Amino acid sequence: MIKLTNINKYYRQGDHRFHVLHDINLSVDQGELVAIIGESGSGKSTLINIIGFLDDDFSGTYFYEDHPIHDYTRKQFSHLQNQNVGFVFQNFKLIREATVAENVALPLLYTGKRRREIGDRVTAVLDQVGLHGYEDQLPQNMSGGQQQRVSIARAIVGHPHFLIADEPTGALDTETSQEIMNLFKRLNRDEGTTIIMVTHDPHVAAQCERVVKIIDGRVVSDSLEVHHADK
Amino acid sequence: MRISELLRTALRSLRANKKRSFLTIIGIMIGIAAVITILGIGDGITQTMYDKFGNNAKQGQQTTEIYYMPDNENSTVSGFNQQDMANIDNQFGGEIRRVRIEHETANINTRADLGDVSKNVTVSLLRAAPTDVKLVAGHRLTANEMATGQAVAMMKSSLARHQYGTAQNALGTTVTVGATTYQIVGVYQDQAEYSMDGGQNKFGASFLLPKDLYYQGDTASSGNTIKLTFDQGSNAGQISKQVAKYLKKNGSAANQGSYQYEDMEKELKQFSSQMSIITKFISFIAAISLFIAGIGVMNMMYISVSERTQEIGIRLAVGATPFNIMMQFLVEAVALTVTGGLLGFLGGAGLAHLIAPLLSSSIGGGIHIHAHITMTAFLMAFGTSAAVGLIFGILPARQAANKNLIDILR
Repeated sequence: MIKLTNINKYYRQGDHRFHVLHDINLSVDQGELVAIIGESGSGKSTLINIIGFLDDDFSGTYFYEDHPIHDYTRKQFSHLQNQNVGFVFQNFKLIREATVAENVALPLLYTGKRRREIGDRVTAVLDQVGLHGYEDQLPQNMSGGQQQRVSIARAIVGHPHFLIADEPTGALDTETSQEIMNLFKRLNRDEGTTIIMVTHDPHVAAQCERVVKIIDGRVVSDSLEVHHADK
Repeated sequence: MRISELLRTALRSLRANKKRSFLTIIGIMIGIAAVITILGIGDGITQTMYDKFGNNAKQGQQTTEIYYMPDNENSTVSGFNQQDMANIDNQFGGEIRRVRIEHETANINTRADLGDVSKNVTVSLLRAAPTDVKLVAGHRLTANEMATGQAVAMMKSSLARHQYGTAQNALGTTVTVGATTYQIVGVYQDQAEYSMDGGQNKFGASFLLPKDLYYQGDTASSGNTIKLTFDQGSNAGQISKQVAKYLKKNGSAANQGSYQYEDMEKELKQFSSQMSIITKFISFIAAISLFIAGIGVMNMMYISVSERTQEIGIRLAVGATPFNIMMQFLVEAVALTVTGGLLGFLGGAGLAHLIAPLLSSSIGGGIHIHAHITMTAFLMAFGTSAAVGLIFGILPARQAANKNLIDILR
């Protein structure tokens, strides 16, 4: 589904040019649960921004299904992004003044749906993440775990083909982290949702079927390839 | 994203910052309110002038008058006779509904003989018994006296005292005006020559005479003023001008004087164009206030954009296009200014209605100025405020749309 070939990425800062990603080659198939691990500054967030169609400033080729993403403009991106990707962020990134239901409904509203067409879908995904009856709450009155569930509900409301999660448990305690991980695993198993997550937490990474390790912008290990190598 | 959703989002974020939103729109409110007040009162004054002096356009028909001025002031020649009427009717019958000789009835300057004394006096002519005068001696002219054509008259008290010592003494004396000699049957208290609203007061004259006796024979069928009546919508001024031109050539007394048509409407047009110059000037000043208010809106929108960077990032990340983001902030700016504009419109309309009566009473003279708020004024308030929102909102909105998502999320 996702095929990255020889991806290189540079950041320009004044006269300096940082080479953030070195010749990344990565393929992800439908239904995988992938963890990308690595130190801070290793380039893993940069990588998933590219995978999630947020960043188009890279060299190399990226085929998403049959779309040559490396040739697309930002405008074509937003459409693809809206239809295909759901994002979950470390610090939830919910709109504080909007209710839970409004936050969850946002992606659908941007596809041009009417508010009353989407009420049922919003309720359904809130049930799915275990937040039945929380529609009219404000995010700021909820716990971190609950807010992350809202964020996950928002990510999956539009039936995306894959989820990008940037340190989804980074701001949560161990117990809540486990609850969120269980939710991800259930989504992956029951709904077949492809999930690519970045994490620091070895416990979280251990629960993923595939772990990709990045150091200084290079893929140094990929459990899938190790697995292949074993055969 | 649907427009209804855009509006909802915009209104919600404006409500989240009620105080700031309100302060931002005060400038717009004041600017629009000032223009609406001035326009309302200016239009009101113009309207009053038209109602009072215009060609009576209000009553479904228009009337104009053509005067005849003899070259020799003392000449007794009449400018219009029945032949002229018939000629005008033949020439312009299609365009003029009615033409008739207008006899002056109020404060006519003439010479009168009181006994053996000859004086310049003013006389007013009556068709019905006068009720609006205060009697000093004798009795009022009665309907019966008028109907039977008796040569009776009333005299004002100051003249009576001057000529005969007391009002009582004046009763029974005679006054000769033109060819008719009238007997004084009543004396009335003096009144001002002009009425409260600036028109002539016919009871301010020295004598009150029955009209039917004053105009008889030749004088009844001729005169120095004609009144033309037009149907609504015809170009009264233009046709009247043509009639005057025709009369200058073919009028019965064309060689002894001149026929003049005074276009009140034209003067009114001048007046209203002067009013519109004043209005434009004040609008210009208001435009400066709107400009400053617009800069305020721009400032507020820039602050809002930088405060809500996170929100912009979230929206972009869940699938909003940069265009969606730009529209959201633009709609917010326009919603702000249009709200200000509508509040300003209401304030201005209210202020105009408050000021108009004050203005009327300070002018006095029974002139009633009503504030005149037009649909055009409403559309102007709406359009201007929306335009201010668009013009001053576009740059902040574009800045919001061009934010780099990666930088926000990092």
